[in-house]
Amino acid sequence: MIQAVFTGLFGLAAIWFGVVVFRTASMVRSALALLFSMAAIGGMFLAMEAEFLGVLQLMMMATEMAIMAIFMVMYMMDPGGLGGMDMTHQKRASLVAGALGALGSLAVAVLAGWGPVEERVPAATAQVRGLGIEIMERSMLVFETAGVTILTAMIAATAIAIQRRR
Amino acid sequence: MITATLTILGPLAAVVLILLLRRGASALALLGTAAGLVGAGFALAGMANGARYAATLPGLPGLPLRLVVEPLTAVLSALVAVVGFLVVVYAVGYMKVEDGKVRSFAQVSFFLAAMQALVLAGDWVLLLAAWELIGVSSYLLIGFHLDRPAAASGAARAFLYTRSADLGLYAAIFVLVAGTGTSEIPATFDVGGPSATAAGLLLLLAAAGKSAQAPLHGWLQDAMAGPTPVSALLHSATLVAAGAILLIRAYPLLPPGVLLVVGLLGGLTALVTGLVALAQTDLKRLLAASTSSQYGFMLLALGAGGPFGALAHLVAHAAMKSALFLGAGFFQHARGSTAFDHLTGAGREHRRVFLGFVVAGLALPGVPPPGGVWAEDAVLAAAFGAEDAWAFVPLAILGTLLTGAYVARALRLLWRGEGRDTPVAGASWMGAGLAALAVLAATLGAALPPLARLLGAETEGLGLGAVFGLAATLAGLTVGWYVSPGRLLGPLRGLAESGFRIGGGFDGLVARPALATARVLSVFDDSIHAVVLGVGRLGFAAGRASRLADERGIDGLISALVDGVRRLGGRARELQSGLVHKELLLAVVGAALIFLLLATGL
Amino acid sequence: MATLTVALIVGAVLFGIGLYGALSQTNLVMIMMGVELMLGAAMVNLVAFWRFLHPEVYAGQMFVLIVMTVMALEMTVGFGIATGRFRAKGSVEMEEAGDLKG
Repeated sequence: MIQAVFTGLFGLAAIWFGVVVFRTASMVRSALALLFSMAAIGGMFLAMEAEFLGVLQLMMMATEMAIMAIFMVMYMMDPGGLGGMDMTHQKRASLVAGALGALGSLAVAVLAGWGPVEERVPAATAQVRGLGIEIMERSMLVFETAGVTILTAMIAATAIAIQRRR
Repeated sequence: MITATLTILGPLAAVVLILLLRRGASALALLGTAAGLVGAGFALAGMANGARYAATLPGLPGLPLRLVVEPLTAVLSALVAVVGFLVVVYAVGYMKVEDGKVRSFAQVSFFLAAMQALVLAGDWVLLLAAWELIGVSSYLLIGFHLDRPAAASGAARAFLYTRSADLGLYAAIFVLVAGTGTSEIPATFDVGGPSATAAGLLLLLAAAGKSAQAPLHGWLQDAMAGPTPVSALLHSATLVAAGAILLIRAYPLLPPGVLLVVGLLGGLTALVTGLVALAQTDLKRLLAASTSSQYGFMLLALGAGGPFGALAHLVAHAAMKSALFLGAGFFQHARGSTAFDHLTGAGREHRRVFLGFVVAGLALPGVPPPGGVWAEDAVLAAAFGAEDAWAFVPLAILGTLLTGAYVARALRLLWRGEGRDTPVAGASWMGAGLAALAVLAATLGAALPPLARLLGAETEGLGLGAVFGLAATLAGLTVGWYVSPGRLLGPLRGLAESGFRIGGGFDGLVARPALATARVLSVFDDSIHAVVLGVGRLGFAAGRASRLADERGIDGLISALVDGVRRLGGRARELQSGLVHKELLLAVVGAALIFLLLATGL
Repeated sequence: MATLTVALIVGAVLFGIGLYGALSQTNLVMIMMGVELMLGAAMVNLVAFWRFLHPEVYAGQMFVLIVMTVMALEMTVGFGIATGRFRAKGSVEMEEAGDLKG
């Protein structure tokens, strides 16, 4: 019961801040709103007793959003949002797409029978241990692939962003 | 019999060889006619010994073709063969300066073969066929000079006149064959009553056309546009004789009424054409009118009941007239034309030819001793002895008078005047033919009694007719020599010169209506032709329209297709905007579709 | 049961918002923000399914880790591209990026 309440509260917060991301004109505020949304999602994780993931989420998102804020200020025309320009296009199509996506997912979520709910969950340390074993044993390949992919991405990003030698 | 048929086969072989080999035409023609002469002589000798030949050839069903050699036909065949041979001899010389030897000798030989077939014919079908063939030959021969319009129109005229008259022969044959059921000539004479009268009159029509009797005498004048040997052969001795021959052979058929008509027609013709001859200004035309006149005499004799007299006159006239024509041809080569204006004095410069001319010319009216007088005697005797002598005798006497007159006129015009010394090519050949015929003309008189015996006819001695005849002849000769035709004829001169055309003549009554009808029918034919062409053109137009519609239709379809595809491509191109957000939208739509497909389990 | 539904609903709504944002924004960075939100929604769903349906199977948590990695990578490469684009054209507005127009 309490779990549901907290999950719900954190969820509402995430939604609220998600809306703010796109409603505000200021770029920094947008970035901060996204940060808070992500933080709320982390809170939801914690409320759903996935502690490792929740902490991980909070930590990663904090850093990422900060970086994003910097990039925003670098690349945006009007970072402060004081110009009053409408920075959107194909509004109707997007609205329709978004609404349809949300409704579809909602329908699935509410109407589908997900089966019996497990009440008991392992302790946090046991979870971490189990996750570690999962990574190392069954999902080793996935892990390795992820590692290689990260490396590739880093190199690619650097390569793109490097200034061309004259 | 085979030797007798040489008369036909000789000239026929000559025609074939001339047309095949195309060289040596004159030699081949001479050979052919010589062979014919041999055959005819043989046949005549056979007749004298009392033989009779006959041959039957396959013809129409029930009407076989027959050749008959009996005294009458043998005599005629010999006549044609002799005249034919001598004229061909003459033609060798005449044609030395002319072109077209192959054509001319081939046509003459063809004519001779056809004429012999006609003379020897024993049934009507063969006679009719030969009759038509000699008509065709006449057309070809008269129109020999292809570049002279006078020759072409003369030939056409001759053909039209004689062909129209031939309808009489067709109708007569029809009557006779239908009446007796056979086409054998002697057998058909048994038909009696009105059929005989009708047949007789129709035969007279055909004979009048062929022998240039009035009122069908106009064509002979215009036929003189042909070469002179042709005139000598065809239009004095043989082709025009065919009419008289027809009537002589059909004599047993003709009832007395028809005979009267025959005789009167003949006598009238003798008179009318004698006047015409007197008024002519061209030697050959004079001779042509004379021919019509002499054949009138023959018909007169026939009508008066003397078939032998007609035959005798025919034989004698053949020799005389051809000799005269040959002489005229000689003068034509010397002076270049046959008009009297050009021929003055021609007699003086070619005296030997003129001698022959004189002999034949005097023989014509009946001056003794040349043979013509005996023939004239026979005619006059028949006339005096006939039942209707009151009609026949005056006509005969007047005819004889006129004959003397125009002969004397011709002789005078040829003799008077200056002689020019012009050489003539081929004189020896021409002279030979002429001389032979002149001799024949002079001596035929001696042959008449044996001829009469052969044919079973009687000859009377010199009687009243002979005296009157001689008197008329001498009177005519004197008148013709001293008195000019203008004073003789008076007001009739113009009419006589133009040949006494009646009612617009043949042209107005027959030729022009026929041609007008032909023109109307031609217009009709053209309109049908136009309809047929129109249908064809319609078909073409339909084809063109279909092709057009096809092209436009299919083209239109194809261009529409192309346009549609292009437009579709344009629309599809809009998807490729290159803008990220649009592509994102597309990605979202695609993902939704895939999700749907997966969810519904496809 | 109730918490699961709540979490799923939240996930659904977040997804919709994120989709709207990704499609309607002109700036590349804003588009990336939308994608982040969508990924976050996915993560929420994943955690909810793990917690309430199969808590003993850690593959769920593994999946979440992967998604987080993907988020990070996406940001990395995306910003790299944005830098490159900014250097070449002077702006990262997607409205002007029609170079691949067909």
